[in-house]
Amino acid sequence: MPDRNEEAYERGAELDREHLPGDPFAAAIRRTRMPIIITDPRQEDNPVVFANDAFLELTGYGRDEVIGRNCRFLQGPDTDPACVAEIRRAIAEEWEQFRGDILNYRKDGTAFWNALFMSPVRDETGEILYFFASQHDVTASKAREQTMHERAEELEDAVDRRTRELQASIEEARAEARAKTVLLHEVDHRVKNNLQMIGSLIQMQAKRTSDPAAAVALRSVLSRVEALATVHRRLYQGDDVSRFDVATFACDLASDLVSAAGRADIRLELELEPVEISKDKAAPLALVVSELVTNAVQHAFRDRGGRLLVRVRPEEGELVIGIEDDGVGLPGQELGRGSFGRTVVEMLSRQLQAQVRWETADPGTRITVRMPRTYVEVDQ
Amino acid sequence: MARPLRVLIVEDEALLAYALEEDLRDAGHDVVGLAPSSREAIQLAERTRPELALVDIHLLDGPTGVEVARAIAGSGVTTVLFMTANVKRIPDDFAGAVGVIGKPYTANGIENAIAFVGEALKDGAEPPPPWSLQLAPHLQPAEDGRIRLGAH
Repeated sequence: MPDRNEEAYERGAELDREHLPGDPFAAAIRRTRMPIIITDPRQEDNPVVFANDAFLELTGYGRDEVIGRNCRFLQGPDTDPACVAEIRRAIAEEWEQFRGDILNYRKDGTAFWNALFMSPVRDETGEILYFFASQHDVTASKAREQTMHERAEELEDAVDRRTRELQASIEEARAEARAKTVLLHEVDHRVKNNLQMIGSLIQMQAKRTSDPAAAVALRSVLSRVEALATVHRRLYQGDDVSRFDVATFACDLASDLVSAAGRADIRLELELEPVEISKDKAAPLALVVSELVTNAVQHAFRDRGGRLLVRVRPEEGELVIGIEDDGVGLPGQELGRGSFGRTVVEMLSRQLQAQVRWETADPGTRITVRMPRTYVEVDQ
Repeated sequence: MARPLRVLIVEDEALLAYALEEDLRDAGHDVVGLAPSSREAIQLAERTRPELALVDIHLLDGPTGVEVARAIAGSGVTTVLFMTANVKRIPDDFAGAVGVIGKPYTANGIENAIAFVGEALKDGAEPPPPWSLQLAPHLQPAEDGRIRLGAH
């Protein structure tokens, strides 16, 4: 295409003639460090008709290799076709300006990011004479951008990976918790059934014992086993398997003991506020309450009946259980020293760090069991 | 003495079934049979038409007590009470049962629970039920405040 080259040279020469060497604008464009080319859209394929030294320096081409060619010689394998299409549109639709970053290639094949600015130059009638294009090598800032982008992607990947790991371990923990719950329910079920079995065995044997003293002993064992059973019946009924409401089992326990005694003449009153303790304290506490209530039912009233009050409430850092009757009063009623019931109460209240106090209520007896909530609320 | 009832015991643990039978007899009730499996439970209930069936959830053939309750209560003849260590296994509608006695129960607890059901079947029972008996949530007291059962 030497003739076209010729024409381009001719057009370049024309530009030169219009702008004599003394023309400061032409001098500026020739010598500026900003790479600049001018193309002629009136010629076929819009060839370059002018390229300044900065452009030749940037691209590594000689002037002869540039003039007369369409700018696409700057494109290469990784140039974004969408970006090229956008430039074509800007030319075809005669946009007043185009700005965009495009990946271009030097003569030696090395790539650079070109911040391209392109704008048409019109004559008085508005017809486009030339396209003016300036190039700016922004490879360094692109690289920084790229690095930032890559780093962000890496971070995102890391976050994704961690999130997936976390989700996996949450799933694992959930599965483990489910397995534990199943196991817990299975064990709980067995404990409850076995307690039922133990109670039934003692009861059946008590019924078949001809020796009255042995029958009494078996019945008192039964009532202690039943106190434990009452605790276990309530354990794991709620959703929180670690806590246990004292008021609930005190109610169950006292109701059962009074009713089992067959004493319709004893009126049970309950003043209960919910106080939660840890489940490992529930059994010993139930046994203590069972002994004290049993003792009151059996010894406080003789034949004349009366009122039995069971109270549970929190009181300034203490769990307070009160058992109060209007019966015969001390000393006749106090759990006999050296009796097994007394031993059980002393043993277990030590374990619970509980203070048990007996006093005359006039009439009757008041027993107060106090224990530090800091102790009974926590699993040991 | 509580109103005597004709009772079917559905329980796979022979010892518990036997001890319960003894308790109920001592309390004046008539035990019409002991069934350790779902099949026997449903057959016995059809044959003996008891007023009350005490049904454990875990039976010889698995956790079939819920179906047993549904079948027996569905006949409209028998009132069903669950008796289980597995209260959480009971469906929300109680499978037609009127309540549950949680295991481990005490002899006194079961006696009071059954006495309450007996009253509810006869003239209506004054709530609250004894602590050993947890009523099905759908059971509401009548206008006079009493719980009534067996109005089939």
